[in-house]
Amino acid sequence: MNVNLHPKESLLFNAFLLMFIIHSVQSGVGIVGLPRIIFLDAKHDAWIAVFLAGVLTSVILWSMIMMLKQYDSADLYGIHVDVFGKWLGNFLSIVYMVYLTACFFVIILNYVEIVQVWIFPNLPTWQLVLVLILLAVYAVYGGIRVMVGVSFLSVTGTLWLLLVIFVPLRYTDFTHIFPIMNVDIYHMIKGIKSTTLSIMGFEILMFVYPFVKEKRRALLYVQIGNLFTTLTFTLVTFISVLFFAEDSLSKVIWPVISMLKIVRLPNLERFEFIAVSFWMLVILPNMCFYLWAASKGFSRIIKRTQKMGIWIIASLAFVASFFIKARYQMNLVTDMIAKVGFYAAFCYPVILTIIVYLKKWLSRRKQSHAEPS
Amino acid sequence: MFKWLDGKKSTEGSKPHSLSIDGLTEQIKSQLHVGDDLNFRNLKRDEQKLVFCYMKSLIDKTALDEFIIAPIQENTHTEWTCEAIAKILPIADLSAQNQLDGVVEGINVGKVYIYVEGQPYGILGNVSKTVERGVEKAETESLVYGPKIAFTESLSGNVNILRQNIKDLNLCMEDLTVGTRTKAKAKLIYIKDIAAEENINSLREKISQLEIDHVAGTTVLGQLIESNSWTVFPQLVTTELPDRVSIALMRGKVVVLMDRSPDALYGPTPFFTFFESTEDVYMRWNMGLALRFLRLQAAFLSVLLTPAYVAVLTYHYEVIPSPLLVSLGQSRANVPFPPVFEALLLEFFIELLREAGARLPTKVGQTMGIVGGIVIGQAAVDAGFTSNILIIIIALSALGSFTTPSYLMGTAIRMVRFPIILLAGFWGGIGIMIAFCFFIIHLLKLDTLGGSYLSPVYPLRWKDLGYSFFRVPTQYLSKRPLTNQPIDVQRFSAQKAKKKDVDE
Repeated sequence: MNVNLHPKESLLFNAFLLMFIIHSVQSGVGIVGLPRIIFLDAKHDAWIAVFLAGVLTSVILWSMIMMLKQYDSADLYGIHVDVFGKWLGNFLSIVYMVYLTACFFVIILNYVEIVQVWIFPNLPTWQLVLVLILLAVYAVYGGIRVMVGVSFLSVTGTLWLLLVIFVPLRYTDFTHIFPIMNVDIYHMIKGIKSTTLSIMGFEILMFVYPFVKEKRRALLYVQIGNLFTTLTFTLVTFISVLFFAEDSLSKVIWPVISMLKIVRLPNLERFEFIAVSFWMLVILPNMCFYLWAASKGFSRIIKRTQKMGIWIIASLAFVASFFIKARYQMNLVTDMIAKVGFYAAFCYPVILTIIVYLKKWLSRRKQSHAEPS
Repeated sequence: MFKWLDGKKSTEGSKPHSLSIDGLTEQIKSQLHVGDDLNFRNLKRDEQKLVFCYMKSLIDKTALDEFIIAPIQENTHTEWTCEAIAKILPIADLSAQNQLDGVVEGINVGKVYIYVEGQPYGILGNVSKTVERGVEKAETESLVYGPKIAFTESLSGNVNILRQNIKDLNLCMEDLTVGTRTKAKAKLIYIKDIAAEENINSLREKISQLEIDHVAGTTVLGQLIESNSWTVFPQLVTTELPDRVSIALMRGKVVVLMDRSPDALYGPTPFFTFFESTEDVYMRWNMGLALRFLRLQAAFLSVLLTPAYVAVLTYHYEVIPSPLLVSLGQSRANVPFPPVFEALLLEFFIELLREAGARLPTKVGQTMGIVGGIVIGQAAVDAGFTSNILIIIIALSALGSFTTPSYLMGTAIRMVRFPIILLAGFWGGIGIMIAFCFFIIHLLKLDTLGGSYLSPVYPLRWKDLGYSFFRVPTQYLSKRPLTNQPIDVQRFSAQKAKKKDVDE
C-alpha cells in the first residue's frame, strides 16, 4: 500500500473548506445533551470546562497537522503502515475503522432516540435508521466533493439556529454562574473529559488531509473551525447554566431542546419540533464523514472497492440497530464510544505524532551514521 | 476560374448518374418517392436537350422562372455546356454535380438540377424556400421590460438576430448536424476569447457523438446531452429570448441553436441561473435584487408550504399557537379526510387546471380560470372536501412555482412537491427534512457541463454571487462570472469605475 495518497486534481478542495468540515463534524447530536453532562461534573463552571476542552482540542489538532506535515500527502491508514509496518499498521487501521463505524452507528442511534422522545414515540427505530443510513450512503457515493458540499451547506444552512439560542437569554439569571472558578481541579478535568463525545469528530482531519489543495494553510483553517465550535459549545453551555435552576439542569436530558421550547413566533410555538427535525441537517455531515472514512479503509487496506465497504458498514450499522432496544443500552453504548473516543481522538493522535517524530529522528540519525563523514 | 466546378465530382461509394435525360429521370424517380411533387422541365435547342429537375414544394417558383429558366432561354447564343450556363445564371449558390446521390440529396433540400444531355456533369442551383413565421413577441417567457423579439424556427433568422446583437468578430459559429436520419442543422455559438475551451469542447463532443435518428428540438437535445437524465432538474437552460442568449454569451457561456427549433440551448447553467430573469438586469439593481429574492423565496415556499401544512396538521399541531389552531380546526371540522389526502387531492386539482389551461385554445382557456377559481375552490370547501386554509396555501404554492422564469424548472418544482407531501404525511417534519437533505445531496451531485450545479454557493465564489444569487450595482461586476471559467475575465476596468474622493 502506498503511504501517500494522491487524489486526482479535480477531487482536491480548497483549504478554507476545512473550516466547515471541522466545525460540522464536531457539532452533532452531542451538543443537545452537552450542558447537562458537563454540569454533572463541573457544576456551574461547566462552560469553563467546555471552553478548556476546546483549547485542548486545538492543541491536538495542531499536533495532528504536525504529524501529517511529516508526510507528503498521507492519511492515517498510510501513516500506520509507514510507522508500524504492514501487519501491525493494518491491524491498527482496522481497529480504527471499527471505531469509526461505531461512531457512525452511535450518531444515528442518538438522533433516532431524540426523535422518538420528542416527536414520534412509536416510530420503529429501524425505519428511521434505514432512511438515515441510505441518505449517508447516497452522499458518500458522490465522493469527497459532495461530502464537503454537504458539510458546507449544513453549516451555512443551520447558522440561524445559533440565533435562536439567544432567545432564552431573556429568561436567564446571571447569578447562576457565580462564584466563578470554584470547582476543584479534579471535577474540572472530569468535565473536560466528558466533553469529548460532543467535541469529537475532528479525527476525520487525518483522513481528509490528502484531499486538501493548499496543505500549508490547513492548520489555520482547522483552528478557525475548531474555534468556532468551541465558542458555540461554550455559548450553549453558558446559556443553559444561566437558564436552568441548579437542580433542573441535571434532570433534563437534552437541555438545549428544552430551552428552545420557549421560543415562540406569532405563528409558531414549540420551536423544538422544528429544531429536532432540522437537527438532521446538522448530523448529516457527521454520518457522511464517518461512513466515508471507515469505508475508505476498504480501498486502502484490503484493496477492495470503497463501494463495497460502504454497503458492508451500512448493513452492519443497520443490523446492529436491532440489538439496541432500551434507553439504558443506548446509554451504555454511547458511554463506551465516548470513552473509546477519548483515547482514539484525543490521546492516540498525540502519541502517534510523538512516534512519527521519533521515527523520523531515528532514521535521520541512522542516515548520518551510515554516511561516511 | 471554375474551381468550384471540380467540387465533389467523385466520392467513393456513389456512382455517376446516367448521361441520357431519360435515364436520369428514371434514376431520380426510383430514388425519390414523392409523387407529382417531383417535376422535370425539358428544353430543346439544336438537337440538344436540357432538363430542370426540382421538387415543386421546396422551391421558390419565381426564382426558378426568373433566375434560372429565363436567362437560359434568353441567351440564345450561349453554348449549352456547364461552364457557359453557370456564367449566365444570376444565382449565388451554384455547384457542380454528377453523382446520383448528390443530385438526389440536392433536389431533396430544394435545389434545382440543371443537366444538358451528354455533358459529364450538371449544375445544382439553390432556389429553395422555407416556410417561416414572422418574428413575434416572446410567448413562453413573457416580459414587462426589455426587448420583445423572440427566436423563430429559422436557424439563419436566429443567427441574424444574434449577430445583430453582438457585433464582436470573435463571435464564432460552428456547424453541426444532429440526427442521423433527419440531419438537422445546428450551430455551436460562443465568443472565442471569452468562453472556456473545455465547455466548448465538451458541448461539441457531446453533440457530435450523438447517434440518434431524430432530435425534436433544442429542448430534446438538452435532455440528450445532460449528464444526469434521471433527475427532475434541467441542467441546461433553453430560452426563446435573444437578449438572454446575448447576455449569456458575454458571460462566457456556450450556445447551441438548431434549425426548426425556436429555443436556444446554453450552458454551463447552475441551479440559480434558472431563477434569473433578464428583467433583473434591466431593472435598477435594488429592484432586481428584491425581485430575485422574491422569486427564490417563492420557489422555496412553493415546495415547502403544502408539506408543512400536512406535517403540522397530521402530527405537530402543538406548533401552532392556540388562536390560530382554533380557526384551523374550524375550517377542517367538516373535512373527513386526513390532511395528506386532502392536500394531494387539491394539488391534483390545481395541476389539472394548469394542464387543461395549457392544452386548451386561449379563448376557452379563460373559462378555466372561472371554473377553477369559483366552482372548484368554493364548491370544494362547501362540500367539505377541503379546508379554506388549505386552498389559500395551495394557491400560494401554485403561484410561487409560476414565478420561476424557466418553465422547465417551474414544472420540476411543482412535481417535486408530491413526494415531499407524501413523506410529510408519513413522518411529519422529519419526513420533510429527509426530503430536504436528499435534495441537498442530489443537487450537489448534479453537474452542468462538468461544472458544479450549485456553483456560486458551492464551491463558494464570492464574486459570482453578485451575478446569480444577488444582484449588485454594475460597478462591482467588473469581472465575468468565474463559474464559466472565462478566458478574458475583465469586463471593464474596476480602477476607472472607482469613485472619486471628496473635492477631487
